[in-house]
Amino acid sequence: MSAGRGTLRGGPAALRAQHPLPRGLGLLLVLLIWEGVARATAGSFIIAAPSQIAGYMVSHSGLLWRAFGATLASAVQGFVWGNLAGVLLALLVVLLPRGERLLSALALLVFCLPLVATGPILRVLYGPGTGPQVTLAALAVYYTTFLPVLVGLRAAPQGWFDLVRSYGRGRMTALREVRLPAALPYLVAGLQIAAPAAFLGAMVGEFTGAERGLGVLTVRALRALDLPATWAIAVIAAGVSMLAFAAVGALGRRLDLAPPEVLMAPPVARSRRPWEAPAQALLALAAALLIWKGSMEVFGLPRFFAKRPEDVWFYLVTGPGAEAQRARLFAALGETLALAGPGYLAGLGLGAGLALLLALAPRLGGAVIPLSIALRSIPIIATAPLIVWALGRGAAGTITVVAVMIFFPTLIACRHGLARTPRAVLDLFEVYASSPLRRLLGAQLPAMLPAFFASARMAIPAAILAVTTAEWLATGRGIGALMATVASTSDYGMLWSAIALVGLAAVLAHALVAALERAVLARTSAEQLAR
Amino acid sequence: MHLPTLTRRLFLGGTLSTAGAALLAPGRARAQDAVALQLSWLHSVQFGGSYLARKNGYWRDAGLEVSLLPGGPNAPVEPPVVAGTALVGISAADYTAAAVNQGAPFRIIGVAMQKNPFAIASLPDNPVNSPADLVGKKIGMALANTPVLEALCSINGVDIGGIEVVPTQYDAAPLVQGQVDCLLCWATDLPVAMEIQGVESVTMLLADHGYSVHSQTYIATEDSLANRRDQLVALMKGEVMGWQDYQADPEAAAALSVEMFPDAGLDLATQKLQAERQVPLMFSDLTEAEGFGWFTEETVAANVETLKLLGKPVSPDLWDRSILEEVHG
Repeated sequence: MSAGRGTLRGGPAALRAQHPLPRGLGLLLVLLIWEGVARATAGSFIIAAPSQIAGYMVSHSGLLWRAFGATLASAVQGFVWGNLAGVLLALLVVLLPRGERLLSALALLVFCLPLVATGPILRVLYGPGTGPQVTLAALAVYYTTFLPVLVGLRAAPQGWFDLVRSYGRGRMTALREVRLPAALPYLVAGLQIAAPAAFLGAMVGEFTGAERGLGVLTVRALRALDLPATWAIAVIAAGVSMLAFAAVGALGRRLDLAPPEVLMAPPVARSRRPWEAPAQALLALAAALLIWKGSMEVFGLPRFFAKRPEDVWFYLVTGPGAEAQRARLFAALGETLALAGPGYLAGLGLGAGLALLLALAPRLGGAVIPLSIALRSIPIIATAPLIVWALGRGAAGTITVVAVMIFFPTLIACRHGLARTPRAVLDLFEVYASSPLRRLLGAQLPAMLPAFFASARMAIPAAILAVTTAEWLATGRGIGALMATVASTSDYGMLWSAIALVGLAAVLAHALVAALERAVLARTSAEQLAR
Repeated sequence: MHLPTLTRRLFLGGTLSTAGAALLAPGRARAQDAVALQLSWLHSVQFGGSYLARKNGYWRDAGLEVSLLPGGPNAPVEPPVVAGTALVGISAADYTAAAVNQGAPFRIIGVAMQKNPFAIASLPDNPVNSPADLVGKKIGMALANTPVLEALCSINGVDIGGIEVVPTQYDAAPLVQGQVDCLLCWATDLPVAMEIQGVESVTMLLADHGYSVHSQTYIATEDSLANRRDQLVALMKGEVMGWQDYQADPEAAAALSVEMFPDAGLDLATQKLQAERQVPLMFSDLTEAEGFGWFTEETVAANVETLKLLGKPVSPDLWDRSILEEVHG
């Protein structure tokens, strides 16, 4: 039992189980092959050789060090603020369960705001300095912390809540004594996902007119066809993300998280009044519009580039040329959804499938996890040329970009979900000498489902971000290319119309996933649905 | 960033940063008008004249403290100028025309690049030397620039249907990797990058084939033109003097760019080559006769014509020479 449980309780054990010697040899082999391929294709400027990358790092150590320091400072601040916001939002939802749909929808909408729109606004609001970078790093993480923590706050046995109630205590006591301890492991999962995202967010934030940082250097290196520089920055970004990931994981282990309990929640009574869902949707819409308009008015943002809801209405419905503009927008959205959908499903399936596979064969974790972090922490503008080169500018390349962007958070969240399989249940499977596969399907998979659905929600905005970026950089089609084009020609009416439509699509997709989630979790994890 | 006069507090306070000192003595910092110039891209010798203006104190002497705000992939020039965060922005006539058509109250008050830097870059084995050579070729470009290609074809009577447009991101890799036969890019960046990397290329400047669009134009709002004329004149005067220095010694401007922005990752050889390549775009017989940044009714008329082809109709009133006239007058 002990070996099995050790691996079940998470990736770290899998890493430790690796023998040092083969791993070192494997790394060396990888480097040698990498060097060979890079040298063989030097003329076409695709891959930098490890020796070139190391050479660049040495000869530009001062520059890289300063840039790294600047980006790291923004990333750390964004990490703190973003995670704080994510946790507070989750607490708010637990304390005000009736507001869940509203708060979730608003959180999702804010997360969906694209850089082409937020970049200029943040720069105007903050002026020169690191404000936009920190904000964008925070925006990159709060949502992926909010969702797992919310799952965790509910992952406690009903009996404990009954106990709190029998002592005459209220919600706050339940929160402090029951929910917060239950949420800790999920918070660790959220923070692990957040670490690379914050760094990437800070780098991308530098595209808004920063003076220094690794993002600035990336843009410069790409344009200068300076492959060693591009790859050196990518290696640094990947390295720091892996370190942060490992550090958060180690911290989680130090907290010595309580072993998972069997969560025997009573089935949820499905007696929602029929008018409730539409009413909540309307409320969310009204709140979103109010916040949209209100925040722009409060900050006095010029209408020229900060279009209000009524400007979008005018642009798409009542104004001159509205019909043609609508047609253009919907055509672009259609193109985008046709690629985002398959990419979303592929990334989700890949992430969850890999998590299950790693539960069966934990040794693979040592190779898969670092690679996944690397893919997630390098700006897509640096990786997109490689993907385009390998897969072309067609559908395959775009779908791959989307899948790559969402499979990492899914993998991590699902692995943490798997680790929450109650010990008592595992012992039971052990007693009956079940096969690992049976244990996986009978015990671990159900335990993973809440985390899986949380990542399915997280993956919606991530898929949108990925597909629009790929469209902008590689295919020139769809809503991503449309937004890039109109932003560069000051057609902010179209830009905000596209943002509104994309936000609406995201909320609808979210509702779809949530409905599916309720149907499945009502059978497997009723505690998640308790109000 | 102006240099504060040597005060006793600053002199004694070894531990005080200059920023801290400025905080302690806000009155002193206000002695100069603080304005911002929004650049159109990351720091590089592309804005070498502005760096010279700062270094040589041309703005300081005029009572102006100018901060140079870098641009970037997601830092359009127009919003900060509209919002007033920047007094002047470095735009281009086509971008300005688009913004004005969307309701932005801009005027072009100076033209740094008399000739548009857009070019078709190709490799010597398969060169594009004239617009007619484009037929049958694959061109890599951002789809947003399709109107540019359309205008070029229309001016030169080339059938655009014979050209295959491949959407690419803005770097030279698709060309050297053979994904495309040519690229639509600035003559002063991607071809320079290729040359530094040892890849020879052929560039055809669109401006040599009838494409007349002023680039690196100085834009300001109508409100600033009405109410902040002194600042505009002071800023543009510094620019003109700085770019005159640039013309005299582009290499020094390249060296200054590298020195002034050590964190920008600039390479001296690249900066020197870029500095040299942009000279013929910025200085002409017209600027020799009238001064840096100048434009005439004729050059404006040619711009209006090309902009019409680009689907961005504007009136010649978009250009306002009154600031330059004060500067040069």
